[in-house]
Amino acid sequence: MAHDSRRDDYLRMSLRYALSLDESDPGAAARAFATFGRRLAQDRDSLPQTDADRAFHLVARATEVLDYRLPFAGDAQVEALSAQARALLDEAISLDPSCHDAVRMRMSCETGSYEARWRFLSERAEKVRASCEAERDQLCGLLDAARRPLAASLAMRPWWRWMAEMAECALICGRNRESVRVARQLLEADPGDLSDVRFTLAYALAKLEDEKGLAELAANYPDPNGLGHPDDAWVMLAQIALAHGRWDLRTARELVERLLASYPGSAGVMVRQMEIADGRFARVRVEEYSEDEMVLALSEGVVLLQEGVERSGRGVLGAWLARTVSELRPREVEEFMRATGGEAAGTGAGAPGGEVS
Amino acid sequence: MNAWEELVARCAMRRNEKIGPLSDEAYAELVLAVRQNPADFADEPPEQALLAVARALDAYRAGGRDDDLLDDAAFEAERARRLGLLRAACRQALELDERCLDARLIDLLAGELEADPLTQGLLDLEHEFAGAPVPEGDAWEDVFYRPHLRLRAAVARTCLDAARPRMAASAAASLLDAAPEDQLGARHTYMLACARLEDEPGLGALEARFSGRESAWSHLARVLLLYKLDRLTAARRALRGFESLCEGGAYALLRPTFVELYLPDRPEAAACGFEESLMAVREAEPIIADVPEFVAWCQGHDWLVASARAFAERRDLDW
Repeated sequence: MAHDSRRDDYLRMSLRYALSLDESDPGAAARAFATFGRRLAQDRDSLPQTDADRAFHLVARATEVLDYRLPFAGDAQVEALSAQARALLDEAISLDPSCHDAVRMRMSCETGSYEARWRFLSERAEKVRASCEAERDQLCGLLDAARRPLAASLAMRPWWRWMAEMAECALICGRNRESVRVARQLLEADPGDLSDVRFTLAYALAKLEDEKGLAELAANYPDPNGLGHPDDAWVMLAQIALAHGRWDLRTARELVERLLASYPGSAGVMVRQMEIADGRFARVRVEEYSEDEMVLALSEGVVLLQEGVERSGRGVLGAWLARTVSELRPREVEEFMRATGGEAAGTGAGAPGGEVS
Repeated sequence: MNAWEELVARCAMRRNEKIGPLSDEAYAELVLAVRQNPADFADEPPEQALLAVARALDAYRAGGRDDDLLDDAAFEAERARRLGLLRAACRQALELDERCLDARLIDLLAGELEADPLTQGLLDLEHEFAGAPVPEGDAWEDVFYRPHLRLRAAVARTCLDAARPRMAASAAASLLDAAPEDQLGARHTYMLACARLEDEPGLGALEARFSGRESAWSHLARVLLLYKLDRLTAARRALRGFESLCEGGAYALLRPTFVELYLPDRPEAAACGFEESLMAVREAEPIIADVPEFVAWCQGHDWLVASARAFAERRDLDW
């Protein structure tokens, strides 16, 4: 899952192209599509497009810069890349003032305050929804039944991303009920959960120590590995937090063992618990069950890990997790620390942010 | 904990059991006599141990009076020394009576463990002392049972510090069941836990139950709850209430001050006085830290900052 700005860009353009073709001649349409990919890559301006499509293309380019290049950039490049991304987003907004992705990303580049981001997003969420729905209805009116589901999904995605960021901001701001409300509204609108907002929801429910809510979420969860229970890092960290929170340390430890088994080679990052910058377009794409995905889940999980009075500053759950993983996988953790130049379990405050892998 | 009052009550009851039952008048005479010189009446090991605890607490509290004048390093050293002496005295009390729960509890708390080991220690103590049946009626009235209530209150507070608000709430709720008059202030911990869990009905029920007994905790919990629920207009009104009804509340919130360990429970303080404000903010600290922009939002209200500054000037405090 996860949002992919380049794929969305491609799909938008292909839909627009389809709209321009003569539907009465299937042969001609098929021949036209044979050259679509090449034209999109090499001669984009020759394809039919609206200002909204052009704006979204700029969003896709800004996303590559902000979410996939900036985190790895050296200090010298950071300012130039940020300026480039801002310019792309500004141009997108000037082309299409209702390019919600560009507006949202521009705002999040401007402010370091999650409170300000939450306020901005929540004040406009309903308008954005109405705007996306109008776009969807307009587009679907022009398309045949076969293409309508994709068009509807594409039209609604800016609102989904809006809501997903809102749920995440609420979680970080300590507004867990708001986070749950927004996440559930989004899940209802998009049961396929392209935004993976169920991850955010799992954490918000864990913050509220809502055992029942988390159990219900897990029961209605995709089960890609056929285990009979979800085993992604988010739902499992949420379950670990609940078990640790009710002083069921044996269960918490068993869950950590299961998590280590689902994410081989991730013991080191589970001890270090880095914080990384969150994606501006959407949660960054990483390989499922990879170490990177674990880094991402732990970074979003600081709301759970770093809570409570604890002298090392790691937070009560964070310190316990680091200790437990170090006990379960001592050699792996030692090697990780040696290779990455970190301190042993329970003492280091973690590496500086900005790393994605 | 007023160890001397409890010692007097316990010694008088023991004596009454031996020589009594005395008439009410004679019993009152006896209590007066014990109060004059409790040591003379502490003739059973449990009371001898409690006597040792009472003396140790006096010494510990007296020793800290001038600590404010010390620099940081000297303060730390002096504090560590006093805590060490207190723990040694608790162990001596335990030699007199190994079942002296207060001595065990104070020794454990004064060890300043991290949250998880402290929780483990407290729960182990509860397990070890679980045999004592809860008295009928308000358990606080049974002076022999009070150490158990203090232990439970410490569990509740420790859970709140350790980011276990639901466990904190249930420990506090069990205390309110056992001792409904709530002399130990379990409701304070409970209210903060409700704020952390964004449990508006829960906080509302506690406010209703303890209506007329508002405190720095109840006012602060209301502010936190409303802020977390994103009802900022109402949160602002509640903040105004906290500021105007709790002495030095604004200062306590904007200039968090070191609050000494509770050994073994909260010191007594006037309702909504400055001491309470300091304690409430200290106990809410993990919740405040979990709402990263809460303090910045508070600081955005000029009247709050002005109130804090004025208080600091009146009291000659750092600003």
